[in-house]
Amino acid sequence: MLPTEPTDEQLLAQALAGDEDAFTALYRRRQGPVFRFALHMSGSLQIAEEVTQDVFVFLVQRGHGFDPSRAALGAYLFGVARNYVRRALDHSYSESLLTTPVEFEEQALVVNHDPSDGISRAQASTAVWKAVLSLPEHYREVVVLCDLQECTYADAAEALGCAIGTVRSRLHRAHDILGKKLQHSAAAAPGINATAARCLS
Amino acid sequence: MTCHEFRQAALALTLRELLRAQDEQVREHAGDCRPCGDWLQGQRELVSGLQTLHHQTAGLEAGAHVERALLEVFRQGPRRGMRPTAALRSTPVALRLSRFFEVGAYAAVAAAIVVGLFLGFRIWQDSANINHATNQSTSPAIAAPAQPGTSSAQGTVSAQREPALEAPKTAVLQSQVRPVHRLSSAGENAARLGTAPKAQTGLDADYVALMFCDPLSCASDAQIVRMELPASAAGSNDEQTRIADVVVGDDGLVRAVRMVN
Repeated sequence: MLPTEPTDEQLLAQALAGDEDAFTALYRRRQGPVFRFALHMSGSLQIAEEVTQDVFVFLVQRGHGFDPSRAALGAYLFGVARNYVRRALDHSYSESLLTTPVEFEEQALVVNHDPSDGISRAQASTAVWKAVLSLPEHYREVVVLCDLQECTYADAAEALGCAIGTVRSRLHRAHDILGKKLQHSAAAAPGINATAARCLS
Repeated sequence: MTCHEFRQAALALTLRELLRAQDEQVREHAGDCRPCGDWLQGQRELVSGLQTLHHQTAGLEAGAHVERALLEVFRQGPRRGMRPTAALRSTPVALRLSRFFEVGAYAAVAAAIVVGLFLGFRIWQDSANINHATNQSTSPAIAAPAQPGTSSAQGTVSAQREPALEAPKTAVLQSQVRPVHRLSSAGENAARLGTAPKAQTGLDADYVALMFCDPLSCASDAQIVRMELPASAAGSNDEQTRIADVVVGDDGLVRAVRMVN
């Protein structure tokens, strides 16, 4: 009989008891989604790494406050990450007034880019990401969680601390806005539209 | 299926469920209705872009240095947990200064709000007092001297009236100029606002405001003086005198006059 994998809650309990291996296992299991959530929300690799770090430092220091009966650990971490992203974006915005604006980092998309797809596919992704980043925060959150992180509506609602119906209506509205934004950008750059059409075929 | 029903169905289904177009009615309507078809096409393009983006970023993870920094924090223990050095962000001096000024700006706005509320309350209180005095002055202050010695003269401001108000009419005639009613202190604010300004603005039909006179300011005192005036002042040609109440400002200038009989 194969040993079953410990759950997130078990790993957290062991980590909080001082088990470094449990913490490492928990980190390796959960850092990817947290990192990608922060990346999709901010468009910045640096912010994404900082947020990931902050989230797990928070977990080490205040993980005792986690209540498994209220939400899964994944949703809880998204909720913490959401607050840190918001703080980081505010901080970046303040600093950008003094230095330079936070640039959207297209190199993040190049990591898994398949050269056979051509450049225009990456352009389509870039256009979508830019459109997502231009959404108001409460719409961006649901798009990132439900469409890019593939969370269920229930998980997204737990992470965002709102009702499932709210998630659903925000997502619908966000898709509406994104569709219009992409139409505008497609009109400005016809190559992206052609790529999108090719993706459908 | 109507466009409204189409949108409702679109709201009920997830994007991917919608794009699978399993619902025959949805698909038919999108084929028949151009705007809804365009919308569905736009959503398909959006899903395609989102899926591409998802696949392209699926393997991204935080760098190894983040894990090392976190393990350092973990080894320090939760109580001594500090922010890893890799994540330390130096705050520029200018940013700290801007924070300072930001706090100062918030304090200034808060002070302005407090002062505004205070002034608003005072203005409201004054206007309430004016209304209160107006309600009381169907006969009050100024009307009272018109019939000295009558019951109406014992109105709300009778306590403020000087003894001369109650003097016999003959004495008034002899005295030529006699202060009848002094409106002054802050405690009499209501009566003052309810009388003298009314005479100035002509709200009181008995008093006639004199032309080319500056109106009394809210802060100035007014005095109502009963005096004899030649009848010619009232436009009559006879030799008799008339008793009148005049409103005298603290600068000694008469602002309004009322003939008593």
